[in-house]
Amino acid sequence: MKKSIFSSLLLCALCACSSSDKTEDMALPEITADGEQTCPVDCQQFKRGGVIAFHYQFSDNVELGSYNIEVHNNFDHHTHSTSAAECEIEGEKKPVNPWVFNSDFDIPEGQQTYTATINIDIPADIDPGDYHFMVRLTDQAGWQQLKSMAVKVIE
Amino acid sequence: MTHFLAAAALLCAMTDTVIDIEEVTITDRAVRPVQTHTTLSSIQVSRDYLQQNFSGSLMHTLQGIPGVKAMSIGSGQSKPTIRGLGFNRMAVAEDGIKHEGQQWGDDHGLEIDQFAIDRVEVIKGPAALLYGSDAIGGVICLYTNHIPTDSLSGAVQLFGRSNNGQLGASAKLGLRAGKLFCRANVTIINYGDYRVPTDSIQYYSYYIKLKDQRLRNTAGLERDGSLMIGYAGYNFHTDLRVSDTYAKSGFFANAHGLEVRLSDIDYDRSRRDIDLPYQWVNHLKVLSHSSWRSSVLSVDVSLAYQNNRREECSEPVSHGYMPKPDGPMERHFDKSTYTANIGLKMALAEHNLNAGINTEYQHNRRTGWGFIIPDFETGSYGAYLLDKWQPTDKLKLNAGLRYDFAQTHIHSYNDWYKTPVGADSVFKQRSADIDLTFNNLTWSVGASYEAADWVLKANVGKSFRIPIPKELGADGINYHIFRYERGNAELNPEVSYQLDVSAYWANKVASIQIEPYVNYFPNYIYLNPTSLYEEGLQLYHYTQAEVLRYGVECQSTCKITRHINAELKGEYLYAEQLSGAKKGYTLPFSTPWSADAGLKYSHKRHGEGSVGLNVHIVGKQDNIVPPEKPTDGYWTLNLSASHRFRFAESSISLSLHADNLLNKRYYDHTSYYRLIDVPEAGRNFSIMAGWEF
Repeated sequence: MKKSIFSSLLLCALCACSSSDKTEDMALPEITADGEQTCPVDCQQFKRGGVIAFHYQFSDNVELGSYNIEVHNNFDHHTHSTSAAECEIEGEKKPVNPWVFNSDFDIPEGQQTYTATINIDIPADIDPGDYHFMVRLTDQAGWQQLKSMAVKVIE
Repeated sequence: MTHFLAAAALLCAMTDTVIDIEEVTITDRAVRPVQTHTTLSSIQVSRDYLQQNFSGSLMHTLQGIPGVKAMSIGSGQSKPTIRGLGFNRMAVAEDGIKHEGQQWGDDHGLEIDQFAIDRVEVIKGPAALLYGSDAIGGVICLYTNHIPTDSLSGAVQLFGRSNNGQLGASAKLGLRAGKLFCRANVTIINYGDYRVPTDSIQYYSYYIKLKDQRLRNTAGLERDGSLMIGYAGYNFHTDLRVSDTYAKSGFFANAHGLEVRLSDIDYDRSRRDIDLPYQWVNHLKVLSHSSWRSSVLSVDVSLAYQNNRREECSEPVSHGYMPKPDGPMERHFDKSTYTANIGLKMALAEHNLNAGINTEYQHNRRTGWGFIIPDFETGSYGAYLLDKWQPTDKLKLNAGLRYDFAQTHIHSYNDWYKTPVGADSVFKQRSADIDLTFNNLTWSVGASYEAADWVLKANVGKSFRIPIPKELGADGINYHIFRYERGNAELNPEVSYQLDVSAYWANKVASIQIEPYVNYFPNYIYLNPTSLYEEGLQLYHYTQAEVLRYGVECQSTCKITRHINAELKGEYLYAEQLSGAKKGYTLPFSTPWSADAGLKYSHKRHGEGSVGLNVHIVGKQDNIVPPEKPTDGYWTLNLSASHRFRFAESSISLSLHADNLLNKRYYDHTSYYRLIDVPEAGRNFSIMAGWEF
């Protein structure tokens, strides 16, 4: 039994030294709204042939990496909003010429904060309806943050 | 070190006058002969132990061994890891032949009939000398080649699990007529969706509500069969075994593939049906062993053919520039492996020499609309020489050398749809046509010393692994984990150096075993999450980094009274990347420390029986690397009971295993589903009833 006690002590000692004192970046970057200029927001409507004036604030505790904007249709109601808001959506339908937008963007080196502003043209011939607007952001360490907005394209 | 393993493997493979190991050797003094059998840590697990501790899957049952973990990969399936190394960093061998499925994948289990297994040997530490590439963390050796001793013998087992409503049956039959023998196994298993102690799952801030706390579409089934015929003479032995394993299982419907999806499929109408997305796998194996032995020399020849077919199906959706595919077949793999091994063993005074040649050829073809692993052919050839020298009764020394050569041809692959590039649009190339050759020299030196109550062992060895085609040639979206993965044709074979020490002490009432190790990789192959995007997804790039790992496993037992045994065990592992983009970070899925305390009451009234209670404690893991999340510690209470009634010519055994009695909600840091915030299974009772004759 003495031996068991000995080994349990040893175990406890081991456990005690497992706590870490790391200095590595353990924080995700953040995507935040920037007052009234913030665009797009949930349930916002845009006209075909118009422009989405993307405007969001990015920040990181060490250094930002890059970001991506992707737009795809939600005609099949697959829903994946990161916000609690539920927008009114139209009935399910089959895509004919859905809008597909997928673009990667750089952030200048050495930035802890960055205001991203991009004008995204909405083609005039795409299917109107419910779309998902996804923003993905990394930091230099490889952490990724996501934000998704439900938007509507109208005629 | 390992040439004793070789000897063991050879012996088992050839004669099978194999000694039945009585109890699990992990808890009592029966461990001793095994202790001295090799200079690497090796644990023998008998069929009795597997039966008494039946907990749903073989890998879960083996978790009782310190250093061995079952990495949950969803659908109630799991993959083994040894000391935190899994996938292609450890090997699983069946009757001495390396099992070749789709080891690289993180969402399917082993394709082996666990009920056909007679015994298991777990080797912790580098075992490259015998098994070649991959045996870095260790080897799980499964043996299904026990020779029936009676003219007619057999067993029937019925089993079930409460958590996922699993029902299963397995039967085996053995025949013996003089030197000829035959054995057959059949197993069928069917299970429903498994339960987790939560009503909803949060994934990217999206709440997925669960019906009756069940993980939608994680049901599955399995059908296995095998037949072996053989001749067992005094000097000559030969056998042929054909086995086939088929398994089909669903993937958790709400968080599989590109995004959280709602589907038109009514997943909640039944908990036992398998809807999209699902996978099926079929593993066919034909294995032939022949051996001849005299008092000084033995020769062993093994030939094997393995065909692994695996398919993943999911609802077709368009993504990015990929239009909606025509059918649900996302990935299909057809991999054939041909193996030929020749081994020689010679006894010369104090020396035992082992030499052998291993050759293997793999051929893989893919189809389906999702690309992740290219078509390839790989040929690998290895030769080894091992010497075991026993200068005194108490001291054993081993040394060995092995050389491996491998050639890989990866085929090019272009998308089946066009992607706009500038003003043009092209069928993008995802994999280039490449030819690569690798070679590697490995070695191992070890000593074991046995004194009155002590066994001391030390072993130092080099092991390696040839980069797999996915690491070399992948270039595309991994639809399962939502990331873009890019291979690296410049990768070198991954090399590992490891020092293992083991101290074992036992007297009549107590035993202690301590096994520390240090492990250094100059070029660990690591899938690094970068800060870049590729086609809308974060780019993960295969790179190589220096990695240091160390850890220890401890185990002590104490016989409190004639009937009551206490056991205490624990393990700790630390890993750090010493170079590269993630310098200072740990490795993905780092195993947190864990400890177990157990009490077991055993008796011999009306046969033999036991009741045991176990507390399993796991520490917090905040040593993480992107994209992981820290995982809190937890503890679970588990109960097991078993009884065997013995009759003149037969026996009936019953066993019950209750996991997570308090139905605690916890996350396993090493689980594949941890990344999508799915907690581990809730309370579960496994029961088994068996009749042996």
